[in-house]
Amino acid sequence: MTTTLDRIRITSGSGGPRRERDTDPGAAQRGRAEGLTYPGRMATTRGSTDDLGGSAPGPADRAQVLAALREHLPEQAVLTDHDLVQGYRTDRAMFCPAGMPLAVVLARETAHVQHALRVASRFGLPVVPQGARSGLSGAANAIEGGLVVSTEKMTEVLELDVANRFVVTQPGVLNAELSRHVEAAGLFYPPDPSSWEFCSIGGNLGTNSGGLCCVKYGVTADYVLGLEVVLASGEVLRTGRRTVKGVAGYDLTRLFVGSEGTLGIITEATLALRPAARRPRTAAALFASGRAAAEAVAAVVAGGHQPSLLEIMDSTTLRAASDYLRADLPADAAAMLLWQCDTGEGAEAEVRAIGAVVQGCGGEVVEAADQAEADLLLAARRCVLLALERLGTTLIDDVCVPRSRLGELIDGVARIAAERSLVIGVVGHAGDGNMHPTVVFDSRDAEQTAAALASFDDVMALGLELGGTITGEHGVGVLKREWLAREVGPVGLRVHRDLKRALDPAGILNPGKVFSLAD
Amino acid sequence: MSTVERTHTLTDAVLAELAGIVGPANLLVSDGDVEPYARDATPLFRARPDAVVLPTDTAQVSAVLALATRAGFPVIPRGGGSNLAAMTVAERGGVVMVLTRMNQIREISSDELLAVVQPGVTTAELADAAAAKGLLYAPDPGSRTVSTVAGNVATCAGGLRGLKYGVTRNYVLGLEAVLPTGEVIRTGSRLWKDVAGYDLTRLLTGSEGTLAVITEVTVALLPMPATVGTGVAYFDSLADAGTAVARIIGLGVLPATLEFLDNRCINAVEDSNHLGLDRTAGALLLFGDDGPDTHVATSLDRMAATCDVVGARAVTRARDVVESDALMAARRCSLPALARLAPITMLEDVTVPRPLLARMVDTIDTIAAQHHVVCATFGHAGDGNLHPTIVFDPHDGDARHRAEAAFDKVFHAAMDLGGTITGEHGIGAAKRPWMAARLGEDQLALLRRVKSAFDPAGILNPGKLGS
Repeated sequence: MTTTLDRIRITSGSGGPRRERDTDPGAAQRGRAEGLTYPGRMATTRGSTDDLGGSAPGPADRAQVLAALREHLPEQAVLTDHDLVQGYRTDRAMFCPAGMPLAVVLARETAHVQHALRVASRFGLPVVPQGARSGLSGAANAIEGGLVVSTEKMTEVLELDVANRFVVTQPGVLNAELSRHVEAAGLFYPPDPSSWEFCSIGGNLGTNSGGLCCVKYGVTADYVLGLEVVLASGEVLRTGRRTVKGVAGYDLTRLFVGSEGTLGIITEATLALRPAARRPRTAAALFASGRAAAEAVAAVVAGGHQPSLLEIMDSTTLRAASDYLRADLPADAAAMLLWQCDTGEGAEAEVRAIGAVVQGCGGEVVEAADQAEADLLLAARRCVLLALERLGTTLIDDVCVPRSRLGELIDGVARIAAERSLVIGVVGHAGDGNMHPTVVFDSRDAEQTAAALASFDDVMALGLELGGTITGEHGVGVLKREWLAREVGPVGLRVHRDLKRALDPAGILNPGKVFSLAD
Repeated sequence: MSTVERTHTLTDAVLAELAGIVGPANLLVSDGDVEPYARDATPLFRARPDAVVLPTDTAQVSAVLALATRAGFPVIPRGGGSNLAAMTVAERGGVVMVLTRMNQIREISSDELLAVVQPGVTTAELADAAAAKGLLYAPDPGSRTVSTVAGNVATCAGGLRGLKYGVTRNYVLGLEAVLPTGEVIRTGSRLWKDVAGYDLTRLLTGSEGTLAVITEVTVALLPMPATVGTGVAYFDSLADAGTAVARIIGLGVLPATLEFLDNRCINAVEDSNHLGLDRTAGALLLFGDDGPDTHVATSLDRMAATCDVVGARAVTRARDVVESDALMAARRCSLPALARLAPITMLEDVTVPRPLLARMVDTIDTIAAQHHVVCATFGHAGDGNLHPTIVFDPHDGDARHRAEAAFDKVFHAAMDLGGTITGEHGIGAAKRPWMAARLGEDQLALLRRVKSAFDPAGILNPGKLGS
C-alpha cells in the first residue's frame, strides 16, 4: 500500500477543524442570484405557481392582512418592501416556480410564528416556512400572494445539557454554529450536510438532512428527541422527550421531521448529541473506472467495515474541485474513493484494512500523510457543487440506491450523459448509496436545457429501477413532486393527503409542496 | 382492570367469511382455543376475543381487514403476546389477528447489511440468523426469544443496548403494512437514506397496531463487533452507582451495556440463581462494551477505574465470554427471579433524565414504603430507563389497590423529573390513564386526528394508545 499522498500535490493550504466545509461566504448568494436571473426560468419550470394554491389577494385584503399581522408583530418583523421580499422568494433549486409573497414574517419568537399562522388561517393564505433557503428542491419557494414565515432570526442555542447529552436550539441556528457550539463542550452533533455553513437546523429538520456522516452516524431524524411545533391553527405542540428512550404515543416528532413544512413550523428542537468523535484517519484511492470504485464500496460494506465517511468523486468532479481549490488533484483517474475512520486507537488499522479491500478491487491507495492533506481531500469533496456551479448551470440530483447496486447507477448515469450529450458529474455518499449526479449545462442554450431536464428524469427513473429512491436527503419540494407520486403509488399518496388534512385541514401550510393536494 | 364495555359479537355470517379467508384451521372460536389469546404478558388484563385468526399471508390479512371495515368489528394485531401494556387485549371484543404463522426470514443480506422478515419471526430468530452471517441485529428486548420482530416494531421495543445502539426505530428501514381498508402500502425502502415523502415508517413504528397491520419488515443490520467485554461493580448505595454512571458518560465512553440492580433485585436473583452476588450491596452495576479488541479493553479499563474512584466495594471483570454471559445472566434473570416472590409481578417502565436516576430510585423506594408494597428496581442505567417491579399476592386484602396507587405516584414522579411514563413498553390499555398527563390534551387530540386519517372506522386496536 502506498502510504504517502504523492500524487496529490498541495498548492493551496487548508487547515481548520475536522469538518471544514466550504466557507465561501458569497457562495450562497451567488447560487441564489443565478437561480433568480436564469433566463427563461419560468418558461421551463416544472408546474406553475397556480399549482401551489397561491392567488394574489386584492388591495383591500392585502391591507387587511398586513394590518392584522402588524397588530401583534414588531414593525421590523414584517417585510413588504419589494426588493427585500425578493430575497426570500426562492431556495437554491433550479427550475422551481416561485411566487411573490404578500409579506415575509421574520419571526423572532414562537409567538410571532403563532400569530402569523393565525392571520393566515383567518384569511386563508398559504404559508411557506423558510430556514436559510439552502434547499435544493424548491420546498422553501414562496407562493404568490401568500406569507413566508422565516425562522432565520431565531438564532439562539437555548440549552446545552452535557450530562444528558442533548442541546435545545432555535431553528435559525446554522448547522455549523450548532456543531461548533457543542464541540466546545466536548460533544458532537453528527448531521453534516455539505451546506453546513449556510443551512439552518430548522431547514435540516424540515428536509431530514443527511451529509457525509451518515454512513456511520445516520441522518438528522436519528438525533431528534423532541420538537416545539406551531400547527396551522397557531396552536403550539410539544412532541417527544428529553430522555434517550420514550415511546408514549405516535412518533409525531419523526412525522414532522422531513415533512418539508407541510405539517407545522418547527420553532424549537431538542437534539441528541454524541461524545466528541476522535480525530479521523483519512485515505483515498484512485480507480480506472467508476464501476471499479463502486465495486470497492460494495466490498467494503460487505466486509463489515464501518468507516465514518466513504465518499466518491468521478473525474469531472475531481477536475472541477481541483480548479476551484487551485489544488492539483489527480485529473487522470476515472474515480476517487475517500474514506475516514474515527475509532481512535483502532482507526489507523481500520483505514488500512479498508485500503486492502479497496486495493483488491483495483484501487491505487493513498493515505493522507498529515492533517493538511486530509483536509484538502475533504475540502475537495465538499466544494464540488460550488466548483461545478462555476462551469455552468447545475442541476443536482439526489438518488439513493442499495449499496450493492452503486456500480449499475454509475454506469447508467454515464450512459445517460452520453445519450443526451451532456456533462454529468458524479459525486456522492458512496457508503450509503446516496449519489448526487449533477448535470452541468449552458442554460442559455434551450436545447441543452431541455436535455438537462430530461436527463434529470432519466437519473430518477434509473434510481427507482435499481430499487432506490428519488431523494436520499434533499427532499421532494416542487422539483420532484410528480416523481414522489410515482414512487409511493396511489395508496401511499392518499395516506399522505389524509395525514396532511388531519394536521392542516385548511391546507395553508406549504400547499402543493411534496405532493399536490388535489386527488 | 379493564372496564371497557364489549361492543362486538360476530355474526355467523362473518365467522363463515373469516373461515373462508384464512381457512378453518386458522380460525379459532371455541372457549378453549381462544383462551390463550385473552391475555398478553400484562398482569390483571384479560378479555376474551370473539375469534382469533392466524393468517398465513398478506392477502389474508388484507381480506380480514377489508371485512372488518365492512362489518365493523375490531381487529387486534398480535405477535408473540409478550407485551407488558395490555396492547393486544381485546377489551372491546372482536378478532385477535395472530401473525406468528407468517414467520419466514426472507433475506439476510451481507451486501446491503439488512434483513427482510415476515412479521412473526422472533427477535432471537432474526438475531441468530444475522449472527450466522457475521451480522448484528442490535435491538434486544428482554423477551427476545418470544417477542416477534413486527411486535417489536409496533411497540418500538428497546433493550439492553439502547444507549450505544438505540432502539427498534433506529433499525427499521421499510415496512409492508395493510391499512384498515385492506389496501397494502410499502413504506420506506431498503435504503440507508430516503426522504421521499412523510416518514410513514417511523409513524407506524410504535403505533401499537392502531394504524395498520405490519406484514413485512426490512431492518438494518450491523457488522458483528469483534469482541465483547463485561464487568461488574458493587456499590454501597444506588446513589454511588448513579455517580459512577454519570462519570462514565461524562468521560465520553459510550458503553454497550450499563445496567443496574438494586439491593432487593440482587437478593431475588441470588435466591433463585445462586450466582454468588454480594447480597449486602446497595447496587450492582453491570458494565460492558463491544467492538475491536483494543477499543473494548480501553473502554472497560476506563469504566472499571471510574467505579473504583467513585468508591465501589468491588470491581470484577469477566475473563472470557462464558464469564461475561454469566454476568449478563444476573441482569436478564431479574424479572423471573422477582416473579418467584409472589403470584403477581407488575413490571413497570419509566424513564428519567440520566443524572436523576438515583433520585428516581430513592423516590420509588419512598413511595413503596408509603404504600406498603414490595418493590424492586432494575434497569438500563445508561439511558435512564428503570423497571420498578412490584410483587404482590392478589388475595392479600387491598394489595392490588396499593400497587396501583404506588405506580400512579411513580408515574407522576417520573414526569415531574422530566421523564416519561414509558421508555420501551408502550401505552396500550395499561398506561392509558396517564396519557393525558404525559402528552397534554392538545397532543392527544392530534394523535386522534392521525388515527382517524388512517382508520376512520376505528377498527384497528380501538382504545389503545389513547385512540
